[in-house]
Amino acid sequence: MNRENVRKLNSRIALSLSTIAALSGLFWLIFILGDVLVKGISALGPALFTNDPVPPGMEGGGLKNAFVGQLMITFFATLIGVPVGILGGTFLAEYARGRKISKIISIFSDIMVSIPSIVIGTFIYAIIVKPAGHFSGWAGAMALAIIMIPVVLRTTENMLSLVPWTLREAAFALGAPYYKVIIQVVYRGAAAGILTGILLSIARVAGETAPLLFTSFNNSYFSTNMNEPIASLTVTIFQYAMGPYDDWHKQAWAASLMITIFILMLTILGRLAIRWRYGKR
Amino acid sequence: MPVLFKKNAGDRIFSLVTAVSSLSVLALIAGILWVLLAESSPAIEKFGFFRFITSTDWNPVTESFGAATNLFGTAVTTVLSLLIAVPVAIGIAIFITEVAPHYLKGPIGVAIELLAAIPSIIYGMWGLFTLVPIMSHYVEPALQNTIGKLPFIGILFKGTPMGIDLLTASVILSIMIIPFTASIARDAFNLTPAVMKESAYALGATKWEAIKNIVFSYSKLGVFGGIVLSLGRALGETMAIAFVLGNNHRITSSLLDAAATITVTLANEFTEADTDIYLSSLFYLALILFVLSFITLAIAKLFLLKAERRYSR
Repeated sequence: MNRENVRKLNSRIALSLSTIAALSGLFWLIFILGDVLVKGISALGPALFTNDPVPPGMEGGGLKNAFVGQLMITFFATLIGVPVGILGGTFLAEYARGRKISKIISIFSDIMVSIPSIVIGTFIYAIIVKPAGHFSGWAGAMALAIIMIPVVLRTTENMLSLVPWTLREAAFALGAPYYKVIIQVVYRGAAAGILTGILLSIARVAGETAPLLFTSFNNSYFSTNMNEPIASLTVTIFQYAMGPYDDWHKQAWAASLMITIFILMLTILGRLAIRWRYGKR
Repeated sequence: MPVLFKKNAGDRIFSLVTAVSSLSVLALIAGILWVLLAESSPAIEKFGFFRFITSTDWNPVTESFGAATNLFGTAVTTVLSLLIAVPVAIGIAIFITEVAPHYLKGPIGVAIELLAAIPSIIYGMWGLFTLVPIMSHYVEPALQNTIGKLPFIGILFKGTPMGIDLLTASVILSIMIIPFTASIARDAFNLTPAVMKESAYALGATKWEAIKNIVFSYSKLGVFGGIVLSLGRALGETMAIAFVLGNNHRITSSLLDAAATITVTLANEFTEADTDIYLSSLFYLALILFVLSFITLAIAKLFLLKAERRYSR
């Protein structure tokens, strides 16, 4: 073989390897999702949503408590985390635009996004659970809110920066003060983007388990009291999957399926919203 | 930039509210550090720093604790998972940017992003019930019968293949971090100016030569940042490996042994800690994890910022 053919062969091998790598990525995705789908569907039934857990061995148990608990924790986390995130992002993109403080907070937020979530669980345990003397839904919601803040803050900052400066100038020219310009003009221009940030941040925390393990803990009874330990799907999955009973494993698969569907739908919805608003990116 | 807001009462209030909100991020980071330090101070006083990180003790009965076994597990799973994930992720990025026909680029990109969106507890569950049997029945015996027979390396594959071990945990972890690394590598590759690649082709370079010599050298800062970022993620991953690592506080020579990482220890033992020094030692572990991942992520961010500044103009 002459030199040229060797070089062509090398190229072909390298590119084939990269194709195999891409196929392997697809393979894992299909393998994992398919597995969750098949095993989850066989355990799905109306009882899962309408009944509370029963002792292992008895028929007809469900996870109503965990579904409701998960919704409540996520809802209150969103209620705390999203406003702080949006307002914080507003400061970076508007009042502090171009200043050093804005850059610094951006960088720290990016780091904060990837901080291990279990560390945030230990932090909340120390400042809320320990002083109160008991686990509580509020502690879980706070832990998730802390995870949401940097996510929402950074997307809001990016989305507000995309709104053309001339739009603000037009509003200034009409005599509007800056805060009115932000609320009535800038927020409106960036609404789809901010919404995407919110959806993605909910998707991010809805599957979180580690920060809930020692904040909201778990509860095998139905409870809507955020001052008490409250069940969540993710912690229940952990407990059930590690448990010895077949029934538990089945319900854990069903819960996994529901959580996966919920999160993937939010993720896809978020991507669609941003594509619809800003075109292909 | 506008200084208009100083004149108006509404702006004074709104700018103050937004400023406080954004400062909450800094306050949280400082608060986490401070609280973890305060909570772990009994353990810091009792065990010191070097003794704590070098001691392999983890004994709640005698109240003697050390982080060495946890650090060992964290280091092994992180390094091993990166060794598996990085080549695959770079391959995926090459495929998306250079090889794939236009109509495939979007779908594969979305698929990789979905892989990143699957929560870690699902990976853990799937790992325990699906991957562990595959590993213990097929992969691990096969490894033992091939490279396990080699001198020196063979020691890594000694023992009964149970599937609940360092190797399985690393494989799951690698599947989890592939999407992060791949999407950052893709963005970095995309920054290479088309003209540069075209010049390489004009000189007769093959596609691989153009990628190797032009794209890689343009994007190495960004790719490196992506790898360090994935390292930071792998350090702190909890639920994906909590199921399959076995929480065994030992330093083992074989990858087919159960082990413990900082995160797995925290997840399994935090609510069970019955003495103050036990809990304090767990907080000490959390503090070490926080500082480690903070430094790693800061380094990653530094590289990514540098790459951005250099090439995005």
